[in-house]
Amino acid sequence: MKEQDHIPTSRFSRTGNFLKTGAKVGGNYLKYYSKKLLGTDDTDALQRENAEDIYDALSKLKGSALKIAQMMSMDEGVLPKAFTDKFTQAQYSAPPLSYPLVVKTFKSQLGKSPSEVFDSFSKNAVAAASIGQVHLAERDGHKLAVKVQYPGVADSINSDLRIVKPLVSTMLNISSSEIDHYLQEVQARLMEETDYELELKRSMVIAKACAPIQGLEFPSYYPEFSSGRILTMDWLAGKHLSEFLKTDPSQETRNQLGQLLWDFYDFQIHELRQVHADPHPGNFLFREDGTIGVIDFGCIKEFSDQFYNDYFQLMIPEITNNDKNFEELLFKLDFLLPTDKPEEVAHFKRVYFEVHHLLSEPFFNDEFDFADPGYFARIYALSEVYQNDKMLRKAKAARGPRDSIYLNRTYFGLYSLLHKLEANIITRSKVGTLAEHS
Amino acid sequence: MDPNTTQQNSDTRDVTQKIVNAYKEYVLLNGTEPPSIYAFCHELGISEDEFYTHFNTFDQVASAFWSQLFKEVLRELRSDQAYVEYNTREKLLGFYYAFFEALKPHRSFALLSFRDSVSLLKRESQHLTDLKKEFRLWVSELVNEGVRQGEIAQRSRITGAYDNIIWMQFLFLLNFWRKDGSRGFERTDAAIEKSVRFGFDLIEKNALDSAFDFGKFLFQGK
Repeated sequence: MKEQDHIPTSRFSRTGNFLKTGAKVGGNYLKYYSKKLLGTDDTDALQRENAEDIYDALSKLKGSALKIAQMMSMDEGVLPKAFTDKFTQAQYSAPPLSYPLVVKTFKSQLGKSPSEVFDSFSKNAVAAASIGQVHLAERDGHKLAVKVQYPGVADSINSDLRIVKPLVSTMLNISSSEIDHYLQEVQARLMEETDYELELKRSMVIAKACAPIQGLEFPSYYPEFSSGRILTMDWLAGKHLSEFLKTDPSQETRNQLGQLLWDFYDFQIHELRQVHADPHPGNFLFREDGTIGVIDFGCIKEFSDQFYNDYFQLMIPEITNNDKNFEELLFKLDFLLPTDKPEEVAHFKRVYFEVHHLLSEPFFNDEFDFADPGYFARIYALSEVYQNDKMLRKAKAARGPRDSIYLNRTYFGLYSLLHKLEANIITRSKVGTLAEHS
Repeated sequence: MDPNTTQQNSDTRDVTQKIVNAYKEYVLLNGTEPPSIYAFCHELGISEDEFYTHFNTFDQVASAFWSQLFKEVLRELRSDQAYVEYNTREKLLGFYYAFFEALKPHRSFALLSFRDSVSLLKRESQHLTDLKKEFRLWVSELVNEGVRQGEIAQRSRITGAYDNIIWMQFLFLLNFWRKDGSRGFERTDAAIEKSVRFGFDLIEKNALDSAFDFGKFLFQGK
């Protein structure tokens, strides 16, 4: 892990970072348009430069702002491809906590120092998470992963959100008052993520519920060595996706791993109706034998029956292919608003139909090859078309149910994991068969 | 040592401690200093004369409180094997965490003690006079140790100013803590972490020193 050379402390200096970024991004656009005038149209380079500048600014912020950056990078179509690539680095770049602070956290949370609790404890962090870091410990010959949270994360969430709000509102082109509706949802999840006691409870519940899925391994958790800001669990073997892919796994293994991920999410969404909504590569440990270790249950989204029943009607072709039913459903889900003019209703309906069909393609087939780069290129192409859509840009109102933010994030994260795995998998819902066995 | 002297010393310590405690309690309960040294002594049951053998002013009494707290924290740290093995940066961090932890039970008094200065950096409190001397002494030992071990860059005149710079950092943190409304003063922990990292990134051997060294080499080679 590299240490940062300077950490902005006050809200003022962090805002300064964003202003600087704004200026830089503005400069990039200027460069782009001047190049365009000279006859070379290099949108890709522009986006790459913007992504780098925004990323540099965001990476200087820690905690929730970084989380939000990750989320935006995962949310479908919000950011073009160049941004997504840059942001996936974000999860590995948090600055390490000093050992004295780790000791202090242990003493105030558990009443003992790490060396009193464990037989051995790594002085330096072995991995970073966006709101904490992981140490390797040993007790009675047993390897443990100990997650320690950064201090003040919970307190900085509000001010971080205030900082990110104008940025998000510009990128999504939604008025900042409208965006509150969505940020409340984000804030609620982020607050939950800072509560390791809650994470511990939920991890145990989900691990137990997912036991019927063969091939998944969940760590055991140790409440006696955990607290609000310390979480102790088994050390799981396995490699992060990018490392794992370097070992050049066979197509068979890739398919097996992809299938396992798909089934895991299918089961959570449709059977448990609560989902591990943080499917970024750092939360999974891949193994040669086709099994996966699942860690980090900080972000769990639960779905209400009402939302579940309404939202998944989008998966019923009889409804979406019928113009009148589809329109009704869009109104019900707030994708269309009563204040929309008739021509807006017609236009948005077409947009949603197209977007929805493209994104649900894997579901409408029995089998789907996530290795297909054409499919993802089509998603990005479509999102860029709509980013420049005049009527959409003019519409400042926020649309869609806010419960869908984390559902979209989940699917988008899952799609990109499967794409990186280049897995060809059976996408039929397995819930029925799994439930029968359990 | 003469047993009488030892006896006397410990008596002096007892009375000093008694005065500090009584002063602290008075300030805590009344939100202000006692109206006069006479009134204070009267209530405590000692003669004003005796008070003056230990202190001259209430400011000195408050100063004794702060210096005691500092020495206690340092004593405790030095008895901890982990602390002894820390490098300079970690020792400073360890001190700050331990100090603010030890200060927690005295927060009310600390806030009252500094109530006259909105910012300790702009107007240093009289109550920190003793602590400042001891703190700077300790820091210069720490800096020397860091220089010897190659952790801190030796930059002729600037090195001598490190104790002062770190003292300013300590005042900044005290100020920060006074206004910290976060749960468990977690924001102060973050401020400690970040300010020490920033400070040490500056005083550690870095590119600047290599550049200077290289420049000097080229210059001398001529």
